[in-house]
Amino acid sequence: MPRLGPQAISLALLVPILLLLILFFLFPLAYLLHLSALAQQPTLQNPFPRLSFVNYVKILQDYFYLSMSLNSVLVGLSTTFFTVAIAYPVAFYITRINGWERTLISVACLLPIFVNVIVSILGWYILLLPFGIIQQALAGLGIVSGPLQLLRTFPALVAVLVYEHLPFAVLILVSSLQAIPADKINAARVLGASVPRIVFSLIIPLTMPGLVACVILVFSLSASSYLAPILIGGQRTPVLPLAIFSYGTELQNWPLAAALSFVLLVLVVAVSFVFSSAMNHIAKRGQWEFV
Amino acid sequence: MAGLRIFVYAVIAIMLLPVLITFPVALTATSRISFPPTGLSLRWFDSILTDQVLLQSIARSFWLALTVAVLSIAIALPCAFAIQRGRVGYRNVLETLITSPRMIPQIVLVLALLVYFEPIRLAQKFAGLVIAHLVITIPFAFRTLLVSVATLDRRLEASSDVLGATPLQTFRLIVLPQLKTGMIASFIFTFILSFNNVTLALFLSGIGQRTLPVEMFTRMNVAGMTPVIPAISFVLSVLGVMLFVVLDRTIGVYRFLAARE
Repeated sequence: MPRLGPQAISLALLVPILLLLILFFLFPLAYLLHLSALAQQPTLQNPFPRLSFVNYVKILQDYFYLSMSLNSVLVGLSTTFFTVAIAYPVAFYITRINGWERTLISVACLLPIFVNVIVSILGWYILLLPFGIIQQALAGLGIVSGPLQLLRTFPALVAVLVYEHLPFAVLILVSSLQAIPADKINAARVLGASVPRIVFSLIIPLTMPGLVACVILVFSLSASSYLAPILIGGQRTPVLPLAIFSYGTELQNWPLAAALSFVLLVLVVAVSFVFSSAMNHIAKRGQWEFV
Repeated sequence: MAGLRIFVYAVIAIMLLPVLITFPVALTATSRISFPPTGLSLRWFDSILTDQVLLQSIARSFWLALTVAVLSIAIALPCAFAIQRGRVGYRNVLETLITSPRMIPQIVLVLALLVYFEPIRLAQKFAGLVIAHLVITIPFAFRTLLVSVATLDRRLEASSDVLGATPLQTFRLIVLPQLKTGMIASFIFTFILSFNNVTLALFLSGIGQRTLPVEMFTRMNVAGMTPVIPAISFVLSVLGVMLFVVLDRTIGVYRFLAARE
């Protein structure tokens, strides 16, 4: 297309995507927000119930929902911490290699994107079963004896979530590590900087934007994850998505499910905001030497 | 570097273990899920082909993913052109809007769609599922295609124009071949994204209309699971890995997966 010229054509090309996003993304979210502020479920007899914050009040006053929200945040934070701690060295290693070794490591680390999440959860489920492989291995090493409760525990849930979200962290970190100019590292080396100094005052500050993006993404995905909590964590570690699912589908209490969704959304946004502004604050104070 | 290498290979072993474990477990001759398996047989791989419910869910997932992948490109490509080439105002606002479904947790998005679809009778329909999937796949298709459109060599189009080709000929013979890689990449990626999605289909697929991942989820969570589920899991993993290796050796996975900004 040599000349797309008139704005009219461009706007016409944008119509399908705008329609889709307005009708099936913005409107539904707005309707959900409205629903969360209704005193009761709209019915045929009473299609317009009065507006009130009764659902939010109920959530904020109930110890059960508060501990559920706290659980969600804790699950998200622990998952994010371990995911980044594992993904960073792996991503660094990936940028130093090429050829088939790179393909092999990439396949292994990005596997959860290409293989269904149900498949990997099933694999973990088999590994964690009572008298399953992990227990047999630990017993073989003489570390434990007797039955071991692994399924339905907080560490197991975090392990599965770390597994599930590692690929996203690796992807972001690889692309931000690759963007570091090699001559900066060489310059530091020539000037006699030690390896830890190169890592902490050069590589980590230079990849800070990627690191922040990675933390925000992994936190928001893991805190709002539903499948691993229901299949691995169970009711022992109740998190918000479990309640959203049961009120949204089985119990059909949509106003409460909607309010819980917005509580989850606010938590995710708040933690992301606090983290990224804290990082900005540190960067501005110049605790790191930005190059 | 040696310590790092050991660490990385340990991580790889842990990444592969849950996927590989499904194979020996599926080889059992009994109907119990256990490791090591009791007896050896391929009966559970056979029973994938005789389990009608499972086969129907595979077909449904396949058609769903195909429809979503084709529609994603059909909707995102013109949009990428308009944003990259046309002088539309509010370019930043548009880009943020198009990529924003990624920021909303899927469980929130699907609840919103469920309560919105229910009165207009789209809730337990194939069309509703296609729309829901499009909302989450389009940001990815759009990003990949925008990069492809931005890297088009415009001199080739100018030459073609000068040499007397019609706009349609130029598009078919000059522009499309240059976009091929980006289109294949976004097709494969949106297909995988849609085929593997569980959360959306869990809320939106009707009874007896389950997609494959939802069928697997339901059997794991509610009904008794037979080793046919590890068997189909292993088959899916092998297909996934093959697709991945082909993509990485031809297009380069990092190049298109990390096509963020």
